Amino acid sequence: MLTQVLTRVALVVALALVFSLAVFIGRDRLASLRTEWRPRLRQSAPAFALLLVILGLNRIMRQDGYDISQAYGVHMTEVFYSLEGDFVLLFRSIATPEVTTFFSVSYVYVYAFVLVFPVVAYFALSNTVVLRQLLTAYSLNYVIGLTFYLLVIAYGPRNVMIEGMDATHLYYANPEYIHLTTEVNQNRNVFPSLHTSLSATVAIFAYMTRDQYRAWFPVAVGLATSVIISTMYLGIHWAIDVVAGLVLAAVCVVLATQLVGRWSLSALLKRVQAAGQSTAASGPNREQGDDGA
Amino acid sequence: MSDPAPSTSPDNHTRDSDDAARGGPSRRSMLAATAGLTVSMSGCIREVRSIVNRDEVAPLSLTISTVPADGDRESIQLARAVGSALESVGADIAIDMLSQEEFQRAILVNHDFDLYVGPHPGDTTPDFLYELLHSRFAEEAGWQNPFGLTNLAIDDRLDEQRVATGVAADADGNGNGNGNGDEGENGDENETSDREDAITATLETVAREQPFVPICRPTEIRLARSDRFQGWGEGHPATRFGYLGLEPQSDGASAELRAVHTDARPSQNLNPLSAEYRERGLSTELLYDSLAVAQWRGAGDRESETDTATDVSPWLASDWEWSDDDTLLVTLREDCEFHDGTRLTAEDVAFTYEFLADTTRGSRRFAAPAPHYRGRVAAVDDVTDLSETELEFTVAASQPVAERALEVPILPKHIWDERTDQASLRGVTVSEGTTEALVTDNVPAIGSGPYQFDERTDRDHLTLARFDAHFTRRDGVDLPEPTSEHLRIQIDPRSTSAIELVESDSADVTSSPLESYVVDDVFEDDEAISETTVLESPSWSFYHIGFNTRRAPLSNPRFRRVVARLLDKEQLVEEVFHGHAQPIATPVVEEWVPDSLAWNGSDPETPFFGTDGELDVAAARDAFEDAGLRYDDDGRLRVRH
Repeated sequence: MLTQVLTRVALVVALALVFSLAVFIGRDRLASLRTEWRPRLRQSAPAFALLLVILGLNRIMRQDGYDISQAYGVHMTEVFYSLEGDFVLLFRSIATPEVTTFFSVSYVYVYAFVLVFPVVAYFALSNTVVLRQLLTAYSLNYVIGLTFYLLVIAYGPRNVMIEGMDATHLYYANPEYIHLTTEVNQNRNVFPSLHTSLSATVAIFAYMTRDQYRAWFPVAVGLATSVIISTMYLGIHWAIDVVAGLVLAAVCVVLATQLVGRWSLSALLKRVQAAGQSTAASGPNREQGDDGA
Repeated sequence: MSDPAPSTSPDNHTRDSDDAARGGPSRRSMLAATAGLTVSMSGCIREVRSIVNRDEVAPLSLTISTVPADGDRESIQLARAVGSALESVGADIAIDMLSQEEFQRAILVNHDFDLYVGPHPGDTTPDFLYELLHSRFAEEAGWQNPFGLTNLAIDDRLDEQRVATGVAADADGNGNGNGNGDEGENGDENETSDREDAITATLETVAREQPFVPICRPTEIRLARSDRFQGWGEGHPATRFGYLGLEPQSDGASAELRAVHTDARPSQNLNPLSAEYRERGLSTELLYDSLAVAQWRGAGDRESETDTATDVSPWLASDWEWSDDDTLLVTLREDCEFHDGTRLTAEDVAFTYEFLADTTRGSRRFAAPAPHYRGRVAAVDDVTDLSETELEFTVAASQPVAERALEVPILPKHIWDERTDQASLRGVTVSEGTTEALVTDNVPAIGSGPYQFDERTDRDHLTLARFDAHFTRRDGVDLPEPTSEHLRIQIDPRSTSAIELVESDSADVTSSPLESYVVDDVFEDDEAISETTVLESPSWSFYHIGFNTRRAPLSNPRFRRVVARLLDKEQLVEEVFHGHAQPIATPVVEEWVPDSLAWNGSDPETPFFGTDGELDVAAARDAFEDAGLRYDDDGRLRVRH
């Protein structure tokens, strides 16, 4: 059943990608991509590698982290509930089967698309800085988010306000998604909302690149907003998780823009080679990217 | 003394102090003044001390532990109902949501809770109350007295019901050969009379003391596909019999029986002794044999007579007989073996009983009994293996109680004998009495049961393979046997998707009972989809509120009784269980419920304070005051911890 759901998600995202490549990126950029993909990939490879490592870690932590957080985590569900009360039940007032479908689709499909599309879009830019910043921001989101998951044990509103949640319950309306979400996350990992932080990260990047991708910016904001609201509408996250997710997004974007470009792996490599070649003359090529220490 | 409050003002100080201080500020009086004490060298100090040294009577603050809705929707809703009732009478309530394992560990192993709400696996005979409530088990782990109840009256009652036999057994000269449960129906009927009285007395005392509040017994509903197998419901699907003796209707079915389970724990741990991972132990029942089995009735004949429900009949034992009132001779089936090919002998059986009573096997000063099967093993004084297939049990309980001791899983000695050591973890202090046996995940499990371990993936599935050498597959053994080559227990976290798996022909049966909020849908779908069938089975598990009677004011039976009276059980059944449960006043199955504790539209022992779910707060508050608690000026309950 998981594979069925996964295939469907992959298919839908692929279709949406093809469509949006045509709409947002344009023929010129795609054409340049054909000739320049090699150097761009080389430049952004470390950022890709970092993200892959962190996703791998995420997988491991999902299993082993559970035991760690069981031993050391702090239970916060009640605290969140007493802080914000029935806030997320506000969304119940707009609940209809159609709205539930809309937000279920947002939570699963739109979210996947929102994460994947910018990677492709920024890959199509001749300057890879934005791409590397985005990938680094993703990595930071996961690392910081996972740390919180280990330390804060909290269950989402659907586990607390059962009576008010039935109409909008993702699992009730679309039980097949359970397979997906349990694969992605534990039910006690809600603080902060990674759906929120990653979508918001994408939206912030859309703002930063609005000169390159004018049309994507409003679309990204719209899609991210629907994903963020869906987390509360479906009773998966508290408003507190969402706020924390927004803060996390801002922190990650700032950190990513600070970090990327600070160290250059290729420069480091050259330096090592140079040091190997000329033992007599010390420190040629010094001027090449020695901006951090 | 006009000013009891400690004063820091020098003016007050002068006014209040007596002559001794006025003569000139001595060093001592200065000290006393800075410390905010009135300077009074004689009787006044004593009075101050008497005022200051009285401990604050603190506002009552309680935590209710339970599992989140993803684990069990009913528990958290009940916990909320209990919480809001307690809040309305002035208690400060927090609800602690724990994962299933954390919950079981907190309640059953560490006894770290105030109140909890959740299901108890229950039992078909009332004897389970012995281990649940006897004070001799108050320090042990597992469903052995997790409440920490120490009550001599209850102990006495429990002891009495355990040994109470009927006149009939002696009058008939029926000491011998009354073993096989199936026979001697007349004998049984007479025999129960004394025992019945003793049990009634026990239940009434328990209801009076309310060490826990029984709330309701949920109806057990499961969904199965009728096109792949026949014979659903002949055995109870909470036990091994629900999965043995099924008749496959196709090649696919004889290759694999596909169950879907909403609780992930069977995919994580196969230790039949684990307090955290086992409740009913369906998976371990398939992996391990016991000497005898209770033939639970399934869904098929639930209308039939109830008095056979608790009989035990031979399983791994081919037969047994009573040589006198205290001695039971058990004969094993010939040539049985464990899944790893080792022969199963009487030595393994004797070992098992010894081991369950003390998993350290006497290697430490303290015993570390297994957290399961305690009440059963406690009925057995001694087990001796007479030969490869013969054993002698010396028992200290009535025959029906002692025969239920034959239901424990038989463990292979060559594997468990090495698990007697204290479990260790580098750099961590491990609590005393934590033997390897209690914490091992026991994967792969080696038993002698009808199915053997094949493979598993954490939180995804547990797959068992048919054990072809099992005695049920022999000619001439008329017992339900494993018919499919594999039994795959798919883990699926929610009832809704479990149902979908069955309806879309990806699974054959939902092995966990369905959550009550989907039951109506299941009946509806069942009408529409002809290949599915709804299994409605008798239930013996029950929801309850547990009190940690080690803590005040939960130690106060009057307090517990008032808490019980805050709940409208009938209303809770409607709201939380959508009507798919029965409110109860006593935790035993229907055939053992005495008239005095039968549900009569209201709880006969602790009736609800109010009507139609509406709590009469004033009456409840009065009752708390009668129970010895006090309210402060703000209307909050206060308690001396």
